[in-house]
Amino acid sequence: MNGYLLQMTNVSKTFPGVKALDDVKLEIRKGEVHALIGENGAGKSTLIKILAGIYKPDPGAKFSFEGKEAEIQKPIDATLKGISIIYQDLSLFPNLSVAENIYIGRDSNKKPWKKVSWAAMEEKAKKALKELGVEIDVHTPVEKLSIAQQQLIEIARALAFDSKLIVMDEPTSSLSAGEVEKLYKVINDLKNRGISIIFVSHKLKELFTVSDRFTILRDGKYVGTYDTEELSEDKLIQLMVGRQVLYEKNKEKIKTGKTLLEVKGLSKEGNFKDISFELKEGEVLGITGLVGSGRTELAQAIFGVNRPYDGELKINGETVVIKSSEDAVKKGVAYVPESRKTQGLVLRQSIINNISLPVLKQLRNKFKLVDRKKEVQLAKHYVETLDVRPALPERAAGDLSGGNQQKVVIGKWLSTKPKILIIDEPTNGIDIGAKSEIHKLMRKLASEGMGIIVISSELPEVLAVSDRILIMRHGRIAGEIGIGEATQENIMNYALLGPKAEGLYQEEAPA
Amino acid sequence: MNSILKSKEISIAMIVALLSILLTFLSPVFLTADNLLDVIKGNAVLGILAIGMTMVIITGGIDVSVAAVTSAVCVILGKIMVAMPDSPISIVLLFLIGPLLGIALGAINGVLVAKIQIPAIVVTLGMMSIINGLVLYITNGQYLNSSSFPSVFLKFSSFEVFGVSIVILMFIAVALFTWYLLKYTLIGREVMAIGGNKDSAVRVGINFDKVQIFVFSYMGFLAGIAAIAQTAYTKAVDPNGMLGLELMVIAAVVLGGANIMGGRGTIMGTILGVLLLGIVQNGLILARIDTFWQKVFTGIIILLAVSYDHIQYKRSQEKLSKIEVEA
Ligand SMILES: Nc1ncnc2c1ncn2[C@@H]1O[C@H](COP(=O)(O)OP(=O)(O)OP(=O)(O)O)[C@@H](O)[C@H]1O
Ligand SMILES: [Mg+2]
Repeated sequence: MNGYLLQMTNVSKTFPGVKALDDVKLEIRKGEVHALIGENGAGKSTLIKILAGIYKPDPGAKFSFEGKEAEIQKPIDATLKGISIIYQDLSLFPNLSVAENIYIGRDSNKKPWKKVSWAAMEEKAKKALKELGVEIDVHTPVEKLSIAQQQLIEIARALAFDSKLIVMDEPTSSLSAGEVEKLYKVINDLKNRGISIIFVSHKLKELFTVSDRFTILRDGKYVGTYDTEELSEDKLIQLMVGRQVLYEKNKEKIKTGKTLLEVKGLSKEGNFKDISFELKEGEVLGITGLVGSGRTELAQAIFGVNRPYDGELKINGETVVIKSSEDAVKKGVAYVPESRKTQGLVLRQSIINNISLPVLKQLRNKFKLVDRKKEVQLAKHYVETLDVRPALPERAAGDLSGGNQQKVVIGKWLSTKPKILIIDEPTNGIDIGAKSEIHKLMRKLASEGMGIIVISSELPEVLAVSDRILIMRHGRIAGEIGIGEATQENIMNYALLGPKAEGLYQEEAPA
Repeated sequence: MNSILKSKEISIAMIVALLSILLTFLSPVFLTADNLLDVIKGNAVLGILAIGMTMVIITGGIDVSVAAVTSAVCVILGKIMVAMPDSPISIVLLFLIGPLLGIALGAINGVLVAKIQIPAIVVTLGMMSIINGLVLYITNGQYLNSSSFPSVFLKFSSFEVFGVSIVILMFIAVALFTWYLLKYTLIGREVMAIGGNKDSAVRVGINFDKVQIFVFSYMGFLAGIAAIAQTAYTKAVDPNGMLGLELMVIAAVVLGGANIMGGRGTIMGTILGVLLLGIVQNGLILARIDTFWQKVFTGIIILLAVSYDHIQYKRSQEKLSKIEVEA
């Protein structure tokens, strides 16, 4: 053996019309944490699916595992070798118990009438959970668990399979800060036991914390593999994007106009309490706080899909009642949800159809039929503005990479030309280059008179786009900071400690 | 998972119990062993088919050709029986030929759904139409009655254990076997898994096509068994006797708590669903209410039960998204 657990060389993958991977190489050492990084659509997920036996690579690809040449044709081939994959969108069965979810797949190559031993299954599951140090009843159906718990179930599954290699595709995108810490600990434990880990993420900070080495992909091509010590954040970004990207605190002077939205004393049992704020024309209001502080619930209430609640909403000075999402759109409010898979897109339909969906009525010609030309034009416009890649509007939304799907969701809501735009985690899963594009776009929309509410857990992002920042904690507004005084520290203080944080934080020299 | 009755099944069982109490007051005949056995016997064919349908629906599929397939097997078995010797071997042959025919027809459905990826509703609608047409062509819509069957079959039909008819025994056997299959075999768990999340299933290496073909073939297998039960029950073959039965079958499964989108469903629930439909029907007969009201009542019960279920589900989802708000 040459010290490598896994070697994949000459890996290419052609989809109709796109070369997703072009002669890529990936070499993983035993017991290392290996970051796989690249922009949206660089081919990370595709490479992983090939490793998993879900996609077949183009001819010519060579794999070796534990020093021996290996073939991976079907998912079970990977499983039997000890390769476990934790996908971006998880692969759990909501209707089955924790025990079954952990055990499943182990027997896929056995005879169909093989007897399933529930006792053995539960035993194994309990053991795997114990190794992870989690306490979850193995009889619980997985649909009853939080996302973080579900992720742990996936890791437990990998452990129960005696995996030698665990791949995690953006494991932290739906975890809160505390849960992320726990995950790091788990990863460290796994590493100490000699298990190798491939870690895919767009969060550079976290990659530097956990990884030993980096492999970088750009546009489906192999850029290189580096030790963490050789890299700095700047260098990494440059390798990834091929240019320099800066991410700075927003310093723009804004001209705000009249008040667009007034929220007065909004409360909903079990969601949020006593929320009041205003949003003006031309202003970007950041709302932050820990995951689970009620931000999304609040946004959905304003958008009319989380009802009923107490309190009052005023748009343009008039009291309004928003009863549904259509109602909201009619009143000029748009909401880009955080979960693109479940709330945003019709995955089987083309990008065009997705973007035009909320505005089909406006696109009708004089026969009251949808004018296809206008529809295509509209879609092209947003594909360009948002830099959706590949820029092929005919393509099914489901065939896009995760980050590019998010861009289409944003385009879809922009097409309604809202006066008030609420964006929930706008750049979750979006690479750093596209992120700053989206930030610029939000600034531009605001300068054209839109009022924007950005909900985000990423503090640099909040600082980069907002004019004013509200911090939520346990369903209440814990504090408000103007962009001039805002720092990551004082925002975190409010988020963690609440209103009593006032005066606690240390003022930093403005960035 | 350990408790045999889950909360949903308990609520259906409660409805069955309440209805039974009500009927006991309305008619003294209801709560007699004879009447109850009659209810079960009269719905055994429905039950056997509903058990197969539970599997199909758990995977997120549907099979509207069940009644047609059962009729077809009935007609063919009827034709064969006329020529059969009057010996026990004939019964064995029936139990070979019937299920095999059913499996063959079911497998065609399965292959079309899995390999050519035509939606199940379209495939099975087509199958239903073809079979119904052929059955009419072959039989001219004519009845085949007991006088042409070998007497060993008539003996088989009236076989009883402690007063429990062979038809009911067949239903019980099918239920037990399928329950075991679903809970304790690999293929059974794969059926549940596919219904839960198809993408995940493929990722953990479950052969999606294989499971789909299995499910439709198994449905066909049970249609074959149901055909024997039906012939034994009516001691005749009526080519039109089961028109529209597929709707009752699907209704029983849905009443039993299965989710038409897949992922949820139990044998126990389906049995309760069948009983519920049977008891309503029986009650209406005992109360001398016109038969066409039965359909109306059945429909209302289905809508109520499913709405209730859906509201419960939404509630439980809402609870999940609760946040601790500071007072
Ligand atoms: N099933 C498919 N059919 C056609 N094209 C596809 C398919 N899956 C992926 N692609 C294309 O292959 C390229 C690589 O996509 P991939 O999902 O691997 O990117 P990624 O690096 O994981 O991006 P992200 O960070 O956004 O998740 C993209 O251009 C994508 O549009
Ligand atoms: Mg990806």
